[in-house]
Amino acid sequence: MFRRRLAGALAAGMAAAALLTGCGGGDAADGPVTLKVLTWEPGGTEYWKQVKTSFEAGHPDIKLEMQSVPFDKYPEVQGPYITSQSGPDVMANNAGLELFDRRGAYVPLGDKAAEITKDLVTYSGACEGFDTAKPCYGVPFSYQGNVLYYNKAVLTAAGLDPEQPPATWDEFGAACEAVKKAGKTCLALGLSGTFPAYWDFPEIARNYLTEDDVRALLAGKLSWKDPKLVAVLEKLAEITTKGWANKNAPSITMLPDGADIFQRGDAAFAGTIISDAVNWDAFGKALGDDKLGVTRWPAVDPAAPLAQKFSGIEGAVYGVTQWSQKKAAGLEFITWLAGKENGELWVKHAKGQPLNKNVDKALLPSSPAFQKIQELVAQPTLHAGVMLSGPEADALARGWQQVTLGQLTVDKWAEAMQQALERSPTKKQTK
Amino acid sequence: MTISTAPVSEPVAADTPPAPARRPPRPGRAREWWLGAALVLPALVLAVLFKLVPLVRGVVTSTESSSGFGGSEFAGADNYTRMFDDPMVLTSFRNALLVVATLPVWIVLPLVLALLIHQRSPGWKFFRAVYFVPYTIAPIVVGIMFRQILAPDGPLNALLRSVGLQPLAIEWLNGRYSALFSLVAVALWSFFGLGVMTYLAGLATIPEETLEAAYLDGAGFFRRLWSVVVPMLRPTVAYWSVLCASGVLIWLFPLIYALTQGGPGDATMLPEYLVFLTTFQFLDRGYGSAIGIALFVFVAVLSIFSVRHMFTEGTRKPR
Repeated sequence: MFRRRLAGALAAGMAAAALLTGCGGGDAADGPVTLKVLTWEPGGTEYWKQVKTSFEAGHPDIKLEMQSVPFDKYPEVQGPYITSQSGPDVMANNAGLELFDRRGAYVPLGDKAAEITKDLVTYSGACEGFDTAKPCYGVPFSYQGNVLYYNKAVLTAAGLDPEQPPATWDEFGAACEAVKKAGKTCLALGLSGTFPAYWDFPEIARNYLTEDDVRALLAGKLSWKDPKLVAVLEKLAEITTKGWANKNAPSITMLPDGADIFQRGDAAFAGTIISDAVNWDAFGKALGDDKLGVTRWPAVDPAAPLAQKFSGIEGAVYGVTQWSQKKAAGLEFITWLAGKENGELWVKHAKGQPLNKNVDKALLPSSPAFQKIQELVAQPTLHAGVMLSGPEADALARGWQQVTLGQLTVDKWAEAMQQALERSPTKKQTK
Repeated sequence: MTISTAPVSEPVAADTPPAPARRPPRPGRAREWWLGAALVLPALVLAVLFKLVPLVRGVVTSTESSSGFGGSEFAGADNYTRMFDDPMVLTSFRNALLVVATLPVWIVLPLVLALLIHQRSPGWKFFRAVYFVPYTIAPIVVGIMFRQILAPDGPLNALLRSVGLQPLAIEWLNGRYSALFSLVAVALWSFFGLGVMTYLAGLATIPEETLEAAYLDGAGFFRRLWSVVVPMLRPTVAYWSVLCASGVLIWLFPLIYALTQGGPGDATMLPEYLVFLTTFQFLDRGYGSAIGIALFVFVAVLSIFSVRHMFTEGTRKPR
């Protein structure tokens, strides 16, 4: 109730300020305000229908008009809006550098950020440098990261213990050899597009980097020729060059193509995200909940300070656009997104990881895979993937594809990464 | 007899032609001129607004350095010199040249098919309709369709294996050259129908008797094609060539977008996709514009000979 009143007060304050400065244009003067929301619909269509219904029921003065874009096409659709400084009133971006790259498109939340996000389990990925003392540009409501899903039946058929999945790199290599002998793919992988590399990179990087290194990566101050980063690239390369993944990985996407291989029961492992796309649920339905296991990616160096942690990041962040004429209504909507009501919708309809700590625990799914994910996310650390600029993420993905096809050495890959860092507009600024 | 005292007028010299009488300007001519101008003006305004202004704006942006979506500053020719050190740019233009090398297929294949339809080969009505169908499918849908068709276990490889062509059942989108030429083949499938229609329109202008006479004189299919059809169809062939030369790179864009995103690695990276990536994903507007201008010059150089030829053909006076 207090949050609603607070949101109302904030909205009223902003509307008055906007009116005084003469830029309040279309805000709720006559009839309901229609907010255009650009989203890739994390959590699925049903969840977003519920968002629209519930929000509009509680806010009769605001209507939501969703523009839904597939996740992998989102940057290309959003970019022209930002370039032309026109379009939606509220937009989503992944927390971290993707959002910082586009921060000029969003209204900074200022002091309101702390109030809006005070009930969230964690909040920093929407703020510059992961520092809440610096400007923050939006509001998340989900928690995101990468785990290794495994098919217990495939492990059993390969003579492995499904209750003891490989925990180290060497054990994983041995398991892959056994799985291959049993005629299956070890790791279902799709490398087309930026996101698979972007999500898998931190799982290896955690073994070599400290949190300070990850911050240096964000600031563009850690060279890609640094032995630690070269070692990360070498281990990524091993995944495909040692034949642990499907041969066509460079030309297929992870979601849905790579995930399909796993869901068909043709692969032992699939490394992919925990929320937004509800993979544990989809995999559980395809393979049976009792056949689906979840584990942390194998540790290259189990003693490394971050090796046993979870590279986590807030999920999609929603912010109000600079060019919106309906900023007050936009702020009201994103404030609602961070609240308990939406947190519970998120759990019920999207089966995602909620970020609001007041969400009723009884609503959380009882699936063993989901429960295991709760254990893993309990010890979070910074997510190195979201520290990569657009050119770096692109070079990481293309480099991995080329290394897999034998067209590039790891050293050349590191050089390409360094060149990508040097031509990253945002990191040029932060140097 | 009367004697006149009035001065005698000078006789007009017989060899001096009479001065031409100045015709008063016809009001119809002025009206024609204004009508012509009025008819041309909308097209001119559209061309200036949507072609010239964006081009000039692109040139201006290409001389700016921008950081993210923030402000920009003048960078002179930096973005252009930077291109020479960027392996991705060089690879994208090398790939573009490989695509351009397939142009003869783009020009000849629809011509052959159009001629087969024109001479009413068996099933010509069916094929005339069927050839055009792929062109009516949105390219992005074509891309999604061919993701399935070209998959390692997709229908194409299943067909090849079933007819004993196992060695040809490769991972089409997984190799440096197979991925690029697979994309070109898909684009050709999607657009050749337009070429067939264009040639059919041109063939309709060739008198039946000419082709019949060549046939009666014993000219085979390819002889008729080379010695009769091609010379008489030169303006149409030139038109289709220009369209292909300038369009093939653009036609591939939605397929790259849906099928490969420029990969694997840089195998299917073409300049226009790189412009898109650089501008909207890397947020480097100045550099993206510079690559776009380089692409414009590349396509202009490709098209210039055909355009010149078309202009000459179009302005040649009938004998």
